[in-house]
Amino acid sequence: MDIDTLVRGLVNGSLYALVAVSFNILYRPTNVFNFAQGELVMLGAMVFASASTLMGLPWIGALAVALVAVGILGLIEERIAVAPVLAKSQHNTGWVITTLAVSLIISNLVGRVWGPDPIMVEPPPLLSTQTLDWTGIQINSYQIALIIVTFVMVLAIERVYRTRHGKAVLATAEDREAALLRGIDPAKLSRWSFFLGGAFAGLTGVLAAPILYASTALGPSLLLKGFAAAAVGSIGNNRGALIAGYLIGLTEAIGASVLSPGYQEAVIFVLVLTLLLLKPHGLFGRPFTRTV
Amino acid sequence: MASTAPSPTRMRYLPVVAQLAFAAAALSVPFFLSGGSYLLYVATQLGVYVVAAIGLNLLAGYVGQVSLGHAAFLAIGAYATALLTVDHQWSFWAAAVVGIVLSAGLGVLMALPSFRLTTWYFAFITLAFALVFEKMIVEWRGLTKGFAGVIGVPPPQFFGFELGQKALYWLVAGTAIVCFLIVRNMVKSRFGRGFVAVRDTPAAALAAGASPQRLKMLGFIVAAAFAGIAGAFFAVQKTVVTPDDFTADFSIFFLLTVVLGGLGTLWGPVFGALVFFLIPELLHGLESWRMLVYGCILLVLMLFAPQGLVGALNAGVRRLTARPRGAPGAAAATSAAAPVAHPPIAGAALAVEGLKKRFGGVAALDDVAVRAGPGTCCAIVGPNGSGKTTLLNVVGGFYERDEGTVQIDGRETRGMSAQAVAGLGLGRTFQTPRLLNDLSIVDNVLLGAFTRERAWLPEIVLRLPRARREAAALRAEALGYLDFVGIADRAEDLASEVPHGQQRLVEIARALMGGARLLMLDEPAAGLSMVELDKLEQLISRIRDLGATVVIVEHHLDLVASIASHVIVLDRGRVLAAGAPSEVFADPAVQRAYMGERAVQGAPAS
Repeated sequence: MDIDTLVRGLVNGSLYALVAVSFNILYRPTNVFNFAQGELVMLGAMVFASASTLMGLPWIGALAVALVAVGILGLIEERIAVAPVLAKSQHNTGWVITTLAVSLIISNLVGRVWGPDPIMVEPPPLLSTQTLDWTGIQINSYQIALIIVTFVMVLAIERVYRTRHGKAVLATAEDREAALLRGIDPAKLSRWSFFLGGAFAGLTGVLAAPILYASTALGPSLLLKGFAAAAVGSIGNNRGALIAGYLIGLTEAIGASVLSPGYQEAVIFVLVLTLLLLKPHGLFGRPFTRTV
Repeated sequence: MASTAPSPTRMRYLPVVAQLAFAAAALSVPFFLSGGSYLLYVATQLGVYVVAAIGLNLLAGYVGQVSLGHAAFLAIGAYATALLTVDHQWSFWAAAVVGIVLSAGLGVLMALPSFRLTTWYFAFITLAFALVFEKMIVEWRGLTKGFAGVIGVPPPQFFGFELGQKALYWLVAGTAIVCFLIVRNMVKSRFGRGFVAVRDTPAAALAAGASPQRLKMLGFIVAAAFAGIAGAFFAVQKTVVTPDDFTADFSIFFLLTVVLGGLGTLWGPVFGALVFFLIPELLHGLESWRMLVYGCILLVLMLFAPQGLVGALNAGVRRLTARPRGAPGAAAATSAAAPVAHPPIAGAALAVEGLKKRFGGVAALDDVAVRAGPGTCCAIVGPNGSGKTTLLNVVGGFYERDEGTVQIDGRETRGMSAQAVAGLGLGRTFQTPRLLNDLSIVDNVLLGAFTRERAWLPEIVLRLPRARREAAALRAEALGYLDFVGIADRAEDLASEVPHGQQRLVEIARALMGGARLLMLDEPAAGLSMVELDKLEQLISRIRDLGATVVIVEHHLDLVASIASHVIVLDRGRVLAAGAPSEVFADPAVQRAYMGERAVQGAPAS
């Protein structure tokens, strides 16, 4: 594998890992896998693009706007589409359809508001997407920063789960009613998770925008790769998601030099499906214990 | 038993004739309306959608596995038919069979990972499959001819005659009716009860000996095969097959059709497709807003009418026809007065030795031994968290044990799945009743007989005499068990409509229906009134005296003292005491575990 392929794989892999982590943040206390997550990432990129290019906000200001906007949308989604379904029954999977519906609504509304053309987004100050030739490796400073930021974010999220609030989240995932008895409010946790999961998705969109451009096409492709990373790395496991994200990014980058884009996705799909057949709980998971 | 529904034989034929006449009349409508061949074309298309929607409804509505990529399965049927007939001059029928088999085969492949995972994995995998497939059709030009698609699909031939537009319409309509009947017969049989159990309470399916994997697989195969059939007709009806026909939007369209009509209702997909067929006409000016509108409709329906149009209609009819009920006391009095006779049960002995089970660092069971013989009742008591339910779950095969032996009727159960253990004659009830709320009480009891039915799927689908006879006999038996537990009057009510105490009785009837020779009851007395408690005590005594082995986990010590001949006290996973109830309850260690140190010290020594 040549070094340029490695760089491409690591850069895209970082994005997949971030999407997977945003899935996990939502999933852990609620056991809901948000089918609109890809569209939340996309929306983050769009809001950021508008805030920075149209409104002329500085990078950090536009970032804040994007995070808050997408976080609030995540919260609204939880209130409208998830909480009412879970209120009927904890084992109800109606949220599969309701979150899918939310994804349709977001992607079509954004398509109407922003139009189909991709918007170019500048990287933050001091960084550049101008490719450098550094000892024969084609890389730019933004790519390096993205890889580092991804590592830092994942480790930071892992630390959060070790705090008291983080443990409450894990306890709720394990047993909602028992958590309730321990004075944890699952409804509040679930709202917070959707807000934070949404904000994290928004952040992922902002980080992806300088590389992939901001466009409505961002949603479906990141949704699938992000899901693949989350599933391969075992749902709920953030370090697993990080490693799996890189595995998928690298596989894809290697595939790109051999296959045309249409086949590339098919190859990843077949690989992930095969892996799930052999190891249904992913590479780093343990089987859930059945409860009666 | 005498007061059940009117004899089914007399009732059967008249409605069938009426239904056939109505169906023929309804299907002839396109011929009488103006619009001519275009209308016929559209009606044929509607029939194609109905076939696919019926399959998706079986999968998503009954088995509870949502396919978000149904268009891909249609595409396989359509492309296989188009390519084989156009490029290789196959006959339509042979090509369609290949398409159906391919579609069903891929359905199985998508389904395999979801066997050991939660439901939404399947949804995601099908979604991913549809998106990838959409691109593959374009990319794999050598096979699919890329964007241009396959053109000039010839109409089907029938003994040398080319089927015209009208014949094709009748063929599709006939196929739709056959598909509808297949699903109807399946849903009304043990498979339907199994599907709903897999969807709502997998634990109940396992306890009844039904394999969730096999049932899911059946649902996947039927849904994918129906999509393949629809795809084959799609190809000959449109005569052109292009990648644009099978986008992700098309999958959403099918999902919406089924949700709109009513998930898990027989007529839902038919109504949904009919209504949906009108919506594009209404939305004509809003073409570009279509997907947004779809999304909004999906969301609103799932939140406010999860059972769609047909579900809302059914609920309305139920409310109108709800019959007034006599005072519950009267019914209880009659059944208590005359206990129903029941043939003896050949009880299965339970022998547990040295059982250990750890959850992480916690020893839930530590060296536990239980012995219970036929015709006796063994009670397991202990404070909350002492491992009682874990013990039942390990014996029932719901949890794997770490060490020890469990023998049912002398057979070691190590490594057996829950449904295999159920097959040995173990019946159980759950701490919170696990009933299928959307089914009637008698259907809930019939779920227990899942593994006892001998009729094969084809017999059930075709309603052959053996399947019909067997279904009738089992139904009569189920009503007998309801009589036995004293709630025969509620047989036709929905499980969600009966009070908690009676739900427990339904669970016991279900276990007996499954041929339980070893009955494990998990806190049967919890939440019962005094009257109900007396009835429960009598019922358990009767079952025990018939010869069954009864193991009961219970906090209600009066009940335990009066029915159990042997008591085992668990405390933090260990056996604290075992023996006759009077000895065990007098043991100071037991009193300490139950009531605390001070209570024992304060009490006068006896």
